[in-house]
Amino acid sequence: MDERARTESIRSLPQGDPEEEQQPPGLYERLIAWLAGLPWWAIILGVVAVAVLYSMLTSEAYRRVIQALTDNPQTSTEDLFEVVQVVGEPTMIVGAYVGETQDSVTTVVDILLDKVIDRKEVTHTGFILAEDPASLTIRTESGLFTIPKDRLVEEKREPAPGGERITLTYVDRVTVSGILTKRTDKTYTVRTVNEVAETFDKARILSRTVIPCEQVTAANCVEGEYVTIERQGEIISGTLNTLSNTNISLILEDGSQREMRRSDVDRFDVPTLTVAVNARSANVPVVPGGEVRIAFVQGTDIMEALEELDSLEDVPVPLRYAEGQARVALVGYPTLDEALTATGAGEVNGLLYLDDGPERLAVQSWVEEHPDAGVVLPTPPRECQKGCQVSVKLKDDAITGRVAEETDDTIRIVTTEAEYLEIDRAKVLENRRMEPGVCALNNLRGCNAGIFLTLRVTFQAYALALLLGLIFGLMRVQTNPVLYAFSTLYVEVVRGIPLLVILLYAGFVVSPELRDNVGISLNDEQEAVIGLAFGYGAFIAEIFRAGIQSISRGQMEAARSLGMSYPQAMRYVVLPQAVRVVLPPLGNDFIAMLKDSALISVLALPDLLQLGRLYVSRTFRAFEGYNTVAILYLLMTLFLSMLVRIIERRTRLPH
Amino acid sequence: MARGTEPIIQIRNVHKRFHTLRGTVHALRGVSLDVMPGEVVVIVGPSGSGKSTLLRCINRLETIDSGSIVVDGIPLKGARNINKVRAEVGMVFQSFNLFPDRTALGNIVLAQRVVRKRKKAEAIAKAHDLLAKVGIPEKADAYPGQLSGGQQQRVAIARALAMDPKIMLFDEPTSALDPEMIKEVLDVMLALAKEGMTMVVVSHEMGFARAAADRAVFMDGGMIIEEGTPDVLFSNPSHERTKLFLSKIL
Ligand SMILES: Nc1ncnc2c1ncn2[C@@H]1O[C@H](COP(=O)(O)OP(=O)(O)OP(=O)(O)O)[C@@H](O)[C@H]1O
Ligand SMILES: [Mg+2]
Repeated sequence: MDERARTESIRSLPQGDPEEEQQPPGLYERLIAWLAGLPWWAIILGVVAVAVLYSMLTSEAYRRVIQALTDNPQTSTEDLFEVVQVVGEPTMIVGAYVGETQDSVTTVVDILLDKVIDRKEVTHTGFILAEDPASLTIRTESGLFTIPKDRLVEEKREPAPGGERITLTYVDRVTVSGILTKRTDKTYTVRTVNEVAETFDKARILSRTVIPCEQVTAANCVEGEYVTIERQGEIISGTLNTLSNTNISLILEDGSQREMRRSDVDRFDVPTLTVAVNARSANVPVVPGGEVRIAFVQGTDIMEALEELDSLEDVPVPLRYAEGQARVALVGYPTLDEALTATGAGEVNGLLYLDDGPERLAVQSWVEEHPDAGVVLPTPPRECQKGCQVSVKLKDDAITGRVAEETDDTIRIVTTEAEYLEIDRAKVLENRRMEPGVCALNNLRGCNAGIFLTLRVTFQAYALALLLGLIFGLMRVQTNPVLYAFSTLYVEVVRGIPLLVILLYAGFVVSPELRDNVGISLNDEQEAVIGLAFGYGAFIAEIFRAGIQSISRGQMEAARSLGMSYPQAMRYVVLPQAVRVVLPPLGNDFIAMLKDSALISVLALPDLLQLGRLYVSRTFRAFEGYNTVAILYLLMTLFLSMLVRIIERRTRLPH
Repeated sequence: MARGTEPIIQIRNVHKRFHTLRGTVHALRGVSLDVMPGEVVVIVGPSGSGKSTLLRCINRLETIDSGSIVVDGIPLKGARNINKVRAEVGMVFQSFNLFPDRTALGNIVLAQRVVRKRKKAEAIAKAHDLLAKVGIPEKADAYPGQLSGGQQQRVAIARALAMDPKIMLFDEPTSALDPEMIKEVLDVMLALAKEGMTMVVVSHEMGFARAAADRAVFMDGGMIIEEGTPDVLFSNPSHERTKLFLSKIL
């Protein structure tokens, strides 16, 4: 009151420079004051809103980063195909092709599912009680059954004493197992593997292998004999996607992608330009002063065809001449057929045919159909590296599959291919858990990278660190000198070493030692969990020690005077109170550990930060990449500190 | 009582030293005391005279250096299962020491379940009975922080009684309380004494001592200076030190 009165009086005093004094506080100060007055949840909401707004503004970049960070599910098994790849000498691996580099091929050895659609058929014998257009009701020894007619598989009626006996076989239930790829309100789409059995002549067998189970890492591995067999070739057209020394991948018209081995490809063309020549003149060079007659189909763009010809590296002989050396005559024909017949007859030296539509293989087909017409295709049409329209003709394809049945001269093999089934959700009786495989929000078990890895490692490491911290914290409050000394040694040593060094120890010292001497082999993730937990255990031990010591000695004495043993008093009286005290610092340590988990990328783990770095090095978009990483960490930590506050408030004792 | 002639607590020539950084404190110097079953003994004495230490030695919250203490026929030194002895000896502290994270009911139930292994329903029924006995049946669901000092101390007494102890030790149970709350606690203790509970009480409440105690003991400097009936000790002490002390507190 006094204070305010005084300031008021000072303000009303005449000032030397009234303008300066009476200016309202600056915008900046007002903003700060306003922000400081906001409740904490409003600040969190504000930060989230800004983050969301920002990411919407730069949505494309963000969509991609987030996809990369959360292990984009689209890049998993969809584009895979079975390959038989010879690795080293006698080992052969059959599996799904994932990708390749100059000198190695990655193959997932995983036969996804062996048996997919399982129909359970049931047979009942009895007497008909009622029949309507939709269903049949029968009475059997074990009761009444009403069977929908659309599920009937077989029906047999025979006269019997007391009426007509009927034997019905119907589909009781159909079990579909596979990977859930899409979920709507009404349907599930499940990717299953359809087994296809084909019978072949045994003479066509190329190779036989038995795949023993230890070679195959899949959980549902079935040991079995696999054979590779040749099969009729086919022609596929599409847009070239990738081309390497060993593989070709095409994007087909329906948008799907198809990959094949170069060794399986019989002919691989970029049929924008086809050059056909007269067989007799195929090796006769043009003499100076001579004439070159070139046929074309009227209506096609001959000028572009000539340009394409110019850029050919190896022009076929009868069309090869120096400028001004020979006279060129272009001869148009109304149809391709006539042009080709004329070429065969020698009326022209060669034919240029340019078509990138559906007719682009017409010349080849004609030549194949008329082997005696005297037309040859000397130069394979030019190849392109990416994006052009291509057709691929597979030479007799080889298929690999499981032997189902074998006689003296035929063999039946089972191959698998993906099939998508849409299932009415209303009809689903039972929904069992999916196998790990595809990373998706409905199957996090398959998510092994990015934010999922960060969270998983943090949670596991924190649980372990809590356990370590509790044990060492309890040891720190003991009077037993050995326990006290040992725990103090742990705490002091570990607290004094940077976490990064501890992680490197876990990964490159402890783990190899364990493997070589004890035979326990840890994977990178386990090493990271152990390193983080060991490093944080020391801090958590100190938190527990302080928490236990903050509980007055009277509590322990009261518990002991009631006849409780030391462990009982700890367990029922001291620890529950200590835990309340230590919850806030434990929460802070959890948040700190979430952030420190970014260090695990030194163990070659693809955590959130590591994927962000990969994104940046791939795209040079450092701003977007690191922003996304930072915002994701921030969102997680904000969420966690909110959780810590709520827990803190919930566990507060009433007064 | 079945063993009316055998003392239930036998303390013989007990010495206790505390070793601290500042030196050694000889807190008990040859204390001997017998307490008969059903007897109520009040201990008085100046601050630092070793009263609390003596009580704490009786249920071995402190170990003794020499001498012997036998409680209910079991020598405390080297007793294999000290927790059994402790369960027979209830203790009430000056600072209550209730478990702050449990309700009054929970405080009374816990040790019954953990130590006496009673069924939950049985333990809860017993706790309600005891709360009624100490006069606060309506506070069963209150946390210690929500209770007054007198109520807390009564919950603490109920908690100790829940173990069905043969002996109750009280270490200045009312000295942390406001005057108007002292009476409610003393009434509970008085009722307990009337029921024939063996009690050793450190307290300077003369009224209580006169009304309830069979014997009063004066301690000073870690030794028992004088003992006798409360009336004789308080009104007609024979020792100079006792007279000096009583003149200070009366
Ligand atoms: N844990 C301990 N460590 C060191 N010295 C102690 C300890 N407990 C008690 N003492 C000392 O032993 C002596 C006796 O203490 P005690 O608490 O038994 O006295 P008291 O008679 O209960 O006093 P008050 O009336 O103040 O409670 C005192 O000098 C005290 O300082
Ligand atoms: Mg005392």
